[in-house]
Amino acid sequence: MNFELIFSIANTAALICWVALIFLPRWPFLLMLVRNGIILALSLAYSALVLVYFFRVQGGGFSSISEVRTLFMSDPVLVAGWLHYLAFDLFVGLWIVAEAQKIQMSRLIQGPLLVLTFMFGPAGLLSFVITRQVFQRSVATL
Amino acid sequence: MSYISETTDGRYASVFGTDSAAKRILLLGIGFQMAMFAPSLLALFLDERMVNGINLWIKPLKFQLSLSLHMLTMALLLPLLSRQWQESRLIRFSASAVAFSALFETAYITLQSSRGRASHYAVSTGFEALMWSLMGVGAVILVVGSFIQGVAIWRSKSAPNTGLRLGAILGLTIGSVLTLITAGFMSSSLVVETGRYVAGVKSDVNGLPLVGWSTSGGDLRVSHFFATHIMQALPVFGMLADRWAPKGSKAAIVMATAFSVLLVVLTFWQALQGRAFLVL
Repeated sequence: MNFELIFSIANTAALICWVALIFLPRWPFLLMLVRNGIILALSLAYSALVLVYFFRVQGGGFSSISEVRTLFMSDPVLVAGWLHYLAFDLFVGLWIVAEAQKIQMSRLIQGPLLVLTFMFGPAGLLSFVITRQVFQRSVATL
Repeated sequence: MSYISETTDGRYASVFGTDSAAKRILLLGIGFQMAMFAPSLLALFLDERMVNGINLWIKPLKFQLSLSLHMLTMALLLPLLSRQWQESRLIRFSASAVAFSALFETAYITLQSSRGRASHYAVSTGFEALMWSLMGVGAVILVVGSFIQGVAIWRSKSAPNTGLRLGAILGLTIGSVLTLITAGFMSSSLVVETGRYVAGVKSDVNGLPLVGWSTSGGDLRVSHFFATHIMQALPVFGMLADRWAPKGSKAAIVMATAFSVLLVVLTFWQALQGRAFLVL
């Protein structure tokens, strides 16, 4: 099994999705393709990799740094972990897009928040939530 | 159409026929089986591990499909019950018990394949021994549920007195009872120590295509298969008889039932003799 190949296909697919979310219009078809196409394909690949390789790692687990490190010594489990990032970050990205459109947030502000989510998922999520909160509070009171 | 913010406006409430709690839980149960089926199917092509000479994903795939069929059969036959029966606590409870037991069985079988270990007859650790006996409990619930539904269709008397109705009653009740007997016999290992195989090579390698039944000796799964699929065969046969020979459809069902029981008994006896069902 060529895990390097799976890794780069998934990476490229996710990158294309992020560029589309940041720069392209909010076409419903595009959002549907990311949601029901790419994210689910990443999830399917993740699930199969976990089913096939997770339990083969001797001494792997979630309860200590060394157990997690042991898990990531295995190439297929490392790729699965990376797919996990890609899928869940994209999912959060779609949620941000949906919420941002609801309050008609400018695409000039959405863009940097999405870039941050793409690069450093939780930091982007946190930034979006704070930005939205400040925006909504001030719109209501000022 | 989005799973991120799905509205519960009942768009999926009436996929076929009327809606009921029992139908919803059975369809959810099938959904969960399909959710395990998708990655298991991909795993089949990724995994080189074998159990007893066969790729270890074949077994979870078989169970995910056959338990889906079991629940689909129950869901499709629900309209043969009166509204009151469909919404009764008994039917809702038995549908829930079946859906949850099916989830438990395949979740464990899938987990064990993932771990590269056997699921049925695996008792080498305390956990596995416990799960093996819990799987027995789950399997009994699966057929008690379909048996209850068969009896309920008989008691309900709301559906027109057709071959389909009689096929459903006889199929669900007799199919469940015969499954309990044949599968129970296999799992008890009382008479046949090896479980499913009698004489011959104790592996599915060189078995019949798709089902994997032994071609070198007796295989108790043959009679289990025929016993279980009486539940689908008799209602379908009843439906066809209603269409082609409506006057004689009930007589045809009685004959088909007798034939099915005979088939189960004969294949069971054949396996105990150590003889293969079919040799290609």
